Parts: sequence; structure tokens; C-alpha cells
Amino acid sequence: MSTTEADILFKDVKKGEIILEMRGITKIYPGGVVANDHIDFDLRAGEIHALLGENGAGKTTLMNILYGLLRPDEGEIYIRGRKVEFKSPLDAIRMGIGMVHQHRKLIPAHTVLENIVLGHPKVGKILNLHEIEREVKELCEKYGFKLDLHAKVWQLSAGEKQMVEIVKALYRGARILILDEPTSELTPVETEKFLESIKVMAEKGLGIVPFVTHKLPIVLSVADRITILRRGKVVARMSREEATMVNLAKRMVGREVLFRTVRVKTKIGEPILEVRDLHALNDRGVPAVRGISFVIREGEIFGIAGVTGNGQQELAEVLIGLRKPIKGKIIFRGRDITNASILERWKLGMGYIPPEREFGAIKDFTLVENIAMNYYFDEKFVKSKFLLDYDKLRELAMKAISEFNIMAPGVDTKAGHLSGGNLQKLILARVMMRRPKLLIANLPTHGLDVGATEFVRNKLMEYKKEGAAVLLISEDLDEVLSLSDRVAPIYEGRFVSILPIEMVKKEEIGAMMAGAISEGVAE
Amino acid sequence: MIGLRFPKLKCERIVILTGADAVKISALSVVISFMLFGAFVAFEGTDPLVAYEHIFSFAFDPKLGLPITLHRGFFLVFNTLAFIIPMAAGIWNIGMEGQFYLGTIGAFAVAYSFPDLNQAILIPLMLISGAIFGAAYGALAGFLKGKMNVNEVVVTIMLNNIAFWLVYLLTVGGPWAGIAESTSKPLPKNACAPMVWNTPFTSIFVIVVAILVYFFLKKTTIGYQIRTLGSNPIVAKHVGISAPKISVIVMAIGGAIAGLSGYHMWAGDPAFLMIPRPEAYKAIGDLTYWGIILGLICLLNPLTSVPASIFIGSIIVGTTVLVRRLRMPFGLDVLFLGIISLVFAAFQFFHQYRIRRVKVVIGK
Repeated sequence: MSTTEADILFKDVKKGEIILEMRGITKIYPGGVVANDHIDFDLRAGEIHALLGENGAGKTTLMNILYGLLRPDEGEIYIRGRKVEFKSPLDAIRMGIGMVHQHRKLIPAHTVLENIVLGHPKVGKILNLHEIEREVKELCEKYGFKLDLHAKVWQLSAGEKQMVEIVKALYRGARILILDEPTSELTPVETEKFLESIKVMAEKGLGIVPFVTHKLPIVLSVADRITILRRGKVVARMSREEATMVNLAKRMVGREVLFRTVRVKTKIGEPILEVRDLHALNDRGVPAVRGISFVIREGEIFGIAGVTGNGQQELAEVLIGLRKPIKGKIIFRGRDITNASILERWKLGMGYIPPEREFGAIKDFTLVENIAMNYYFDEKFVKSKFLLDYDKLRELAMKAISEFNIMAPGVDTKAGHLSGGNLQKLILARVMMRRPKLLIANLPTHGLDVGATEFVRNKLMEYKKEGAAVLLISEDLDEVLSLSDRVAPIYEGRFVSILPIEMVKKEEIGAMMAGAISEGVAE
Repeated sequence: MIGLRFPKLKCERIVILTGADAVKISALSVVISFMLFGAFVAFEGTDPLVAYEHIFSFAFDPKLGLPITLHRGFFLVFNTLAFIIPMAAGIWNIGMEGQFYLGTIGAFAVAYSFPDLNQAILIPLMLISGAIFGAAYGALAGFLKGKMNVNEVVVTIMLNNIAFWLVYLLTVGGPWAGIAESTSKPLPKNACAPMVWNTPFTSIFVIVVAILVYFFLKKTTIGYQIRTLGSNPIVAKHVGISAPKISVIVMAIGGAIAGLSGYHMWAGDPAFLMIPRPEAYKAIGDLTYWGIILGLICLLNPLTSVPASIFIGSIIVGTTVLVRRLRMPFGLDVLFLGIISLVFAAFQFFHQYRIRRVKVVIGK
């Protein structure tokens, strides 16, 4: 590779040497929001320095400043003691800083190699891929990445795509790698692999800054040092040895957080939902649900644990009516609803929390209008046959705000002004206040920070206490295990087993999710 | 190095557009289009101010242009409402022209079949029949969209063409052909619209319809479902709103309102009282497309569509004086309307983005 500015800047770096210093970084957004308040941050060569904080703590702002996307109002950045100023990410890249975003920015129809060279200064008018391929291969070998350079990006898994982004940053000469929520889209197996590879990268002298809002155990397992932000300020700096789950969470949230939601035993009542030999196809017409049968009763949480793409999304969609089954029966409170419409299912007492907030709320609508989504068909909220009773809906919205602790200036605010966590709470409130007999909670804590996650979990538990049945779908094994009364690991469209929580061993469930154990204990 | 300061323009996405901002943007669009057209007028050697004075003094003179201004303006209100309702559900109704023709057929069929009926019975029957014809024509596109996901823009445009020829078949040498060349028989006396304050009663009728549409979208359960579907079809599906059902409903209502404009146009202007020659009824049919621009400018608000439509109506009527009084070239009226629609379309940009000046310092 030819010599670049970064090569000169980072010449003869020794491991453990401070390569980056940010001093007194302050950023105030128009409107007076102080996103960063005199933040100091430093990074050594060969270390993984995690940046931790809840949504809105200022991590993203700080890293965007480091990557040249934002300019600080105050403060300085030094790389190997030399003061630098970035006008755009291009400047930052030139100085050896690379960033991998949470949402992949790759072109699916192009090959891995084409994506890696895209935008590289070395690529002139004519593409000479041979030399580049050799260099990229060398790079992959150095860090132990296994990538098929000629595969199309759409064929890759989430983990492989992330690797492509990392290689892309490295090929552009990154010595400091910023990783935005690096594990949020990875499966447990991929996460494991990813953690291995960043350890290797650090070993070879790179400085790595992952920033994380949740999944604290992951941080604990690899980070050498941890800096915690809260409300734009550094509240703690510690080494891995000093950190424990509890004190990290406490510092992040600013209060004690119970990680173990206390599971309460309730009386198990009548069967609410009975599913018999259900089969369904996914969007591509491939069988995704392949013969699933189970029963959920009043007062229990039934957890489905599985790696994304094993049919749990399709199963949830079939249950609420978004997808038609090709075979099988669904019986809800003694009625065959296999062919019922979505609206009929809501009316009969089903509730569904969608996996993405974008599926559940409209940002242009006020909170009242968003709440109305599950009540427009409810006689209690319709007057003179055709009119929505907005007075009653307003009351309901106010109740939702206070009961679910939603931070909003008022019920007539547009939902777009709410933060992600509050929006999720709004959806949850809307569905749960219907008191459905069966609640299908599809990734209910996806993307929530620690405080909000705890809140949602406790709500589910409370709800079960009232005698409702809950079907919990989650990618977070700890979540499933801490809430469920019975757990069904799903693999390739089938339940590997259905286990009462007392009989569950975490390792065993993990193996079942990965398809390593084909049949466990029968129900 | 010396620091260089220069202002730079930056685009920001607007999350939520307020009503006041929308009014400001519309006002600005009007000013800019007047300035642009003024430049053309000046280029043709006429003082723009004199031209504008003539345009509006004619359009709003009760003895001269005002009755036609109002008549054409309210015609546009019908067609704007016919666009707004499906658009609120996210469906582009480009078929007001065809629905207007079908409404014409529906109304005239009743009038020709029962010419001797009492006015108090005949006129409501004509209106109902026109609405049903228009509704059925709209619902056809709505059904294809909802059930089979056929693009509604393509379907409605093709239906417009079919509707044009249906009217042609009936009038030019067809069963409704009149004595004069290529026009229909005159309407029976009982079928003509009674006048209120020098404008047909249908003008007042459409104001009532606009208010009803406003409340329909805002307060009713169906209106709520329409808006939810229009804002986010995926969310709507998750909460059990049936897209096929809503598609048919909105296109039927839109078609019905566009269909009503058939009666308003031909029975409400004393100059017509029949279906005119094909190029003349096509020219009126072309006016229905203003419904699209007006609907978008008004941010789908049925109430503001009334003054906005009257404003465009006044320009449609007023610009005719440029030729008659000021001896200016033909086609300037169309140019003015073209400028207005282009400027308004361009200024839609400001419904999404705000431009802000930021100071950038280079070097230090």
C-alpha cells in the first residue's frame, strides 16, 4: 500500500501509547440541548475502550465529532499529540479514523470487493481490481477475517456484512475504529465471532471504540477500559477489572437497576391459545414455520427463544393474522380463528406488539391519534355510530402517559417528537390497556436502553399476574429465561422442545437454538 | 493562514410542518409566480401592473367575470375534494376527468329520460345518478388497487380516455346528438340549476360538501382509518385496517364528488345547458387536473381548498382579458396557469426542507 498521511502520523506506534485524546469537548445543539459537556476521552493503541450510555447520553454526538460529521463548539482533538481539526469525515479518514455504522451502508448488488474499494482514493477512472484484491486479501489474513471477496453483499449474513464494513475502514487506513452498536444486529454465534476478531485487531495495535447502549455483558467481556456517559457528561471511567454488571448499569441509568425481573408464580388457568401443526411460508415462498404445536394458558408467559430467521417472526405474523398459514389450526379461547381477519383477532382479545416501532406508531399523528389505533373499532370509543370519541381517547392517552411513565409534553404532541424508548412505551400502553387475553410481545425491548427495558419487563410480569397469557418472542436469551414460565427454543421453523423453566439449562437452550440438539425433553 | 468566513446554505429536513408555515410557503409561491409572469408580460411590452389590474378587475366584477369565476372556482372545489379524499388514504386519484364525464352521463341520462319531471324531483335525481356513476367509475380503480395492487395512476388515466369517448359516442351523432353540430340536445328546462346570488345552488352545495369532508376525515372512524392508511400502510395493517376496503371507499367517495361536478358544470352555467363540442368539453375536463395541484397545496385540507380554488378560478377567467382588451398574444393565460402550477410544485420542496444559513470558517 502506498504511504498515506495516516501512515506518517501513526509511524512506529507502540502498543499502549496514547494515540487519541479528546479534551473538553462541548457540543450544544440549536435549542440549547447540551449533548456533550466538557468531555475528555483518550484511547491507547491496542486497546478496546468502550463508550457506554443510554439513548441520548451523548455517545453518538461525541463519536460524530471524532469522525468529522459534527464540529464541536469547544474542545480539541489530538492524534499522537498533534492537534487536528476535521471539517468532514474525509479529513477524519485521512487521519486514520474509521467508523462502522449500526445500519449497514453497503450496496447489496455489488460484490464484497467492489464495496470495499467504493470511494477509495486509490481507485481512479479505471478499476484495477487485481492489485486491490491482493491487498485486501493480505489485510484479511493479517486480522484473520474469512471473507469471500467475490460474493454479492446481499448473500451475506449480518455478521459478514459488518466484517465487510470493518475491512473497508481498515483498507482506507483506519488506525482508530469506531463501532456503533456493533452487536445489535448479530446472532449470538456471530457476536462470539465478532468479539474474537476485534480482540485480534486490538492485539495488532488498533485502537477500538465500540459504543453501546445495552447488551452490557458483551462490553464486559472484551473492553479493556470503559467510559460511561450520562446526560452529556462523563460519569465514570474504569478498567474491566473494576466493572460489574450492576455498577455499570447503575452509573448509566443513575439509579439501581434490577436485572432479574422477579418471576412471580401465578395460578395457571384455562387454555387461551392452542396452535396445532402450523405451517407457513416466508416472503420468499420458502417454508418458515414447519409444524408448530403448543398451548398457552392464562397466567403464563410462553417464551420463544431463537436466532433471527428461524421462523419466529413468521409464526407471530400468522398468529395475529398478517400472514396466512398453509396448514394447521389456530384456536383462540375455544374458537377456530385460522381464517379470521386481523381486526377480528383484535376484537376477540388478541394484542400484538410489533418488532419495529415503525410498524406500530405514526410520527405525524398526535399521541391521542396514535392511541386510537387499537380503539377505533371499540364501541366504547365510538359515539353516534360513526364518530370517534376523542374526549374519551384523550382521557385514555393521559392515563397511558401517567401509567406507563411516558415522557411527553402533552397528549396533543406529535409522536415524532418522542424518543424511541417513549414511543415503544406508547405502543405498549396502547396495546396493554386493551387488556388483551393474549399478548404477543414480539421483541418488546428491542433497541431500548437499560431503564426502559426493565420497565417493559416488569409490565409484562405485572400483566401476567392479572391472568393474561403472554407469548414472548425475543432474541435475548437472558430476557426469555428471566421472564418465561415455559421456554420453546425454535430452530428452522420447529420447536426443538418445550421446557418448563425449572428444567431449563441455559447452555442446553443455547445449543438447541443453534440446532446442536435436535430433540430434548417432550412437553 | 487567514480565516475565511462565508455563509453557506444548508438543507434541513422538516419533521413536522405547521399550518402557518404552509400558508407562508403558499403566499410566497403566489408572489413568485406573479413576478415571473409579470416578467413575461413586460417582455411582451405591457406594464405587468396594468395587466394584473385588468385580470382581477374583470374576474371579480359582478357584472362581468364574477359569476364565471365563482362557477369555475367551485367546479375546481369538487375536483379538489375528489382528489383529497383518496390522497388522504395514500391513493392518487388522477381520474377526476373520467369521473366528471361519467357524472355528466349519469345526470344527463336522467334528464333526457324524464324531461317532464318536477324540478324538485328531477334535479336531486340527476345529482344522485351523477354521483353514483362517478362513484362506480372511481370504485373500479379503487378495487383494482386494493384487491390486486394495480397502480391507480395508470388505471385512472386510462379510464379518463375511455370516459372521454363514451361522452363522444353519446353526443356526436349518437342518441343524445342535438341539432347543432357535435353538441348534445339542450337540457330540459326543469333540469337547469336554480341560481342563488347569481351562482348555481351547487356552489353553496359544494361548500357544504367541503365542510362535511373535513369532518368526515377528522372525526369519523372511517376517516381515521383513511388517514392511518395514508400515513403508514404497514402500521394500518398491523392494527387491522383493511386496505382493499378503504381503497374502494375512498375512490367511490372521490368519484361521487367528481361526478357531481358534471351537473354543476353543464347545468349551472347558462352558457352551456348541454354538452358542448368535444374540444370544448375536453377543455373543461382538463381543468379537473387542477384538483391535484390544489389538493397538494392545501396539504389535503378540504376547507382551504375553497378559497384556493376560487383564486385559480379567477385567474382562469381573468386572463382571458389579456387577449381581448390588451391585444396580447394568445396562450398567455395558459402560460400563467402553467407558471403557477410549476412554482407551486417546486415550492413543495419547502414542505419537506428548510434552508438555513450556516457560517463556515475555513482555515485558522
